[in-house]
Parts: sequence; C-alpha cells; structure tokens
Amino acid sequence: MALFPITSNFEGDFVLQLVAVDSENTMDEVAAAAAVHSVGRRVRARPGQIMRVRRQGSEDFLPRSMRVSESGLKPTETVEIIWEAPKH
Amino acid sequence: MAVLNRMDWYDLARTTNWTPTYVTEDELFPPLMSGAFGLPQDAWEKYDEPYKQTYPEYVKVQRDKDAGAYSVKAALERSRIFENADPGWKSVMKAHYGAIARGEYAAASAEARMMRFSKAPGMRNMSTLGCLDEIRHGQMQLYFPHEHVSKDRQMDWAFKAYDTNEWGMIAARHFFDDIMMTRDAISVSIMLTFSFETGFTNMQFLGLAADAAEAGDHTFANLISSIQTDESRHAQIGGPALKVLIENGQKAEAQKRVDIAVWGAWKLFSVLTGPIMDYYTPLEHRKQSFKEFMEEWIVAQFERALTDMGLDLPWYWDIFLKDLSETHHGMHMGSYFWRPTVWWNPAAGVTPDERAWLEEKYPGWNDTWGQCWDVIIDNVVDGNMAMAYPETLPYVCNMCQLPILGTPGKGWNVKDYPLEYNGRLYHFGSEVDRWCFQQEPERYAGHLSIVDRFLAGMIQPMDLGGALNYMGLAPGECGDDAHNYAWAEVYRALRAEKKAS
Repeated sequence: MALFPITSNFEGDFVLQLVAVDSENTMDEVAAAAAVHSVGRRVRARPGQIMRVRRQGSEDFLPRSMRVSESGLKPTETVEIIWEAPKH
Repeated sequence: MAVLNRMDWYDLARTTNWTPTYVTEDELFPPLMSGAFGLPQDAWEKYDEPYKQTYPEYVKVQRDKDAGAYSVKAALERSRIFENADPGWKSVMKAHYGAIARGEYAAASAEARMMRFSKAPGMRNMSTLGCLDEIRHGQMQLYFPHEHVSKDRQMDWAFKAYDTNEWGMIAARHFFDDIMMTRDAISVSIMLTFSFETGFTNMQFLGLAADAAEAGDHTFANLISSIQTDESRHAQIGGPALKVLIENGQKAEAQKRVDIAVWGAWKLFSVLTGPIMDYYTPLEHRKQSFKEFMEEWIVAQFERALTDMGLDLPWYWDIFLKDLSETHHGMHMGSYFWRPTVWWNPAAGVTPDERAWLEEKYPGWNDTWGQCWDVIIDNVVDGNMAMAYPETLPYVCNMCQLPILGTPGKGWNVKDYPLEYNGRLYHFGSEVDRWCFQQEPERYAGHLSIVDRFLAGMIQPMDLGGALNYMGLAPGECGDDAHNYAWAEVYRALRAEKKAS
C-alpha cells in the first residue's frame, strides 16, 4: 500500500493530468480515479461503456483486475484511459 | 565648432579592441562569458551592425519617446479607460505586465553581458543602448500599471509575478533564464535578440499596440509602440553575429541556438498571446485570428530573416506550422479551467457567436475543443460550479514548463513524449521540447517542474489552497471568469427557447 502517481491521458480530453492512485489499486480503479478529473468536467460520460487502461503506444489493455504493483508501471508514467463499448 | 557627420567618425570610434598584454585574451574575454566559438578578436571585429546610432543621438531620440508616452498617460489619467474597459481587455493588460515588465529588467542584464563580454566592438556599442532600452522598458511597464494597483489587486502582479512560483511565471523564467540569463554574449545575441525579438516580440508589440488602440486604450497603445521602436533597433544585434559565425564555419552551432530559442518563444506565445487574440479580445475588435497573425507577421517574416542570413528553417518547421492551429486553443482551455492559478481573469470567449468565429477560422473547432467546452458550459449554466474547476494539476512539460496538451474531442491526439535520463522519468509536450532537452541534458536535468515540486512534497498542504499559497496567489489575486459568467446567459436563453418550442 503506497501512494503512486500516474499521468492520465484520458480519451477525448485535452491535457495530461497528475492522478494519485494506490499501488494496490486495480486498473479499473485507476481508470475510475482518472475519470474523476476528466468525465463531467471536459469529457461527457458514456453510459454503458467501460474505461480501460493501456500504456501509451500499446494497443493492448492491461487486465482490468491487474494491480498497479503488478503492472510494471513507473511512477508518473503516462497511461491512456480508453472507452470500451460492451462486448455482446 | 563644426561637428563631423556621424559616418565620418563612427567606424573609427567604435574600434575599441586592443591587444591585451598584462592578461591573456581568454582572461579578458572568458570564453564561458564571451562565447567566442574559438574565434579570435579580429574575426569579431568584422561584425558590422546594420543600425548605427551614437550616444547623443540615442539620448535625444529616447527623451522624445519618453516625453510622448508619459504625456499621453498624463493627459488620459482621468479618462477612466481602465474602469470602463472590457474585462477581457483588462486581462490582456494584467497578463502582459506580469509576464513582461520584470523580464525587461532581466533583459538589461543580458544586454550588459554583451556590452562587457562580446569580442565584437559593434555589438558592445549596440548592446549599451539595448541595455538602456531594457531599463526604460522595465521602468515604464512598472510605472504605467502602478496607477491601477489601488483599483485592482491583480495589477500588483506587474511587479510581483516575476518573483513568484506561479506556474506561468516558472515557464517564463525557465525560458528567459535559458536564452538570456545563463548564456554567453554571442548566444544571447542569437537567442534573445535574433530569435526572440526579431522573430516574435517585435511583431507582438506591433499587434498589441494595434489591439490597444482598437480597444480605446491609447495610453497602453502609446506605451507599447514606444517600446517597439527600441525593440526593432536592438533586435538587430544578433544578425551580424550570425553572419560572423556562418562565415567562420559555425553554422551548425548557430542554427541549434536559433532552433531552441524559436521553439521556446513559440510555446510562450501560444499561452500568452494566443488566448488574448482568439478569446479575450471582444469579437468586434478582432482583426485577425492568432493563426492568421502568426502566418502573416511571424512565419513569413521570420522565414525571410532566416534564409537571408544563410540559415535553414528549423527542422521542426512543419510541426510548428501545424501547431499554429492547435496549441493555443489548449493553452487557453488550460488557463481558463485552472483560472484560480493565474493572476488575471481569463475571458472564456465561447458564446455562440464567438464559437462561430472560431469554427470559421479553425474548421473543426466545434468537434474538438468545442466538445470539451460543451461540458464546461453545461456545468456553468447548471450552476454545477464544482465541476467547472480542477481538482488536480495538469502534467507540465519538463522543457517549456507548460501543460502537456493536444487536440481533444473527435480529433483526440494528446500524447506524452517521455524520456528517461539518469534514472529520472521526464515528460515533454512535443518531440521538439524533448529534442531541446536532449541537446544539453545537464543544462536542464536538475530543474523541477511545478508537478515535480508537488510530488517532492514542496507544496503543502497538497491541495488547491497549498498550491495557491505556493504560487503566491493571495485572496483577491486569483483569477476567475473575466465576465463573471455573464456569457452563460445566452446559453440559458437558448435552453429556455428550446424548451418552449
């Protein structure tokens, strides 16, 4: 359990932001923490969609339940928070 | 007694180099300060300034300029221009004075470095006058706003800003420290006078003077014009130095300094001038968009200045031209959304009419920046103000110290340009910012951005209050919406109309 700063690059927003998460947070929790600073402020919510986390430059999302401490992310590393439509 | 014509004696009188005998040339002109680029004194004696002025001529002309500007101020002191000005225009003045006035004093020190340490006698002459220019600019731009301090605390930032850790000032200081306070005499001439002044400020002062006259603020217009006439003279200090360097096989070093300084100047103008021209200036007073202004007055003229000099366009010219349509929209949104952290009141500039203008000037604006503004506007109209303010810091660039941003909405292209150097992860706002850092990493690596300072625990408590305190923003000085959100009424009316139909 330790505070862990990440840089959030939220899909549709205009700026990178500093977001404090916990090293034991899951990627879903990271996405939710990042959303606090973008969704409803400058980005409209997308009901029914979920937010996924990926490293900048990667096509692949990190597993939703993966913890920050397991991800290999470095402090202040930039992650992209991407909307994902539900799979039917 | 007959007085000789200036050109009969000027060249002889400026021949002030001598051969030192008690000390070595390097002791007289330490390379660290002189930046001789390995060239001996006689190479620099070929430096020929294009604008020749003697000290008596200078004093006479400057006295007339001062008399003109100060008398206009005195005549209009009771005109209540400040009280009656559009709040957007007041914000222009506050931003300008805070960012520039004390920087002029700093520039006097940079001119003094050229005056003492340049091996080129002509440069020493020109920068003696340039140093006096900068002292004059500092004094005027502190004296003129002073009459407004008692009316508006934010005007106090004309003097105060430069000493604070306000984020915009950290950015401005980082840039000016880089190009003029920590460089040798020749590099100062290239980076400050040729790159920044010829490329940007000279034209910026022309544009601002025209805007001031348009806004009815003749005191400010005269002040700015008076300064600009000095700028257009001393901005020419760097040109002949570039010529000497190129003739002596130093083009690559000269080009690198131009490229670094031009990029930093562009980023600073994108946050200072871009929002002023495209958002703060009332719609009826806008003559050109920021992009049009940049393309006509900066890009075209600077391209010519570079090629005339025998230099190349900076390698990133295509990136720069593309950014002219983008970066300043983000800088405006950033300084508006984080408005408590600036010393002026940003004007939103997003009424339906203003948006139509933005869409015309920047096709696609509504699908990009407009998408973010839609959310901000809804929050303001709904009175949901907590969501119209930030709760964290934007991540800033370790080179320009400004927020790392890009185009939002349907054109989303925001990207970080990271670099790991000596075990520390740095973040940059563009490929060019990262490139500037990489040219001399040790020069920049130790600097802490506002975000680095926050993470290092230097800002306490770690919340907005702590951040404002760290930035020196006292109550009554923090920025808020320039028009107190009056612009939202038109959206409320539109909503009511829609509901009724």
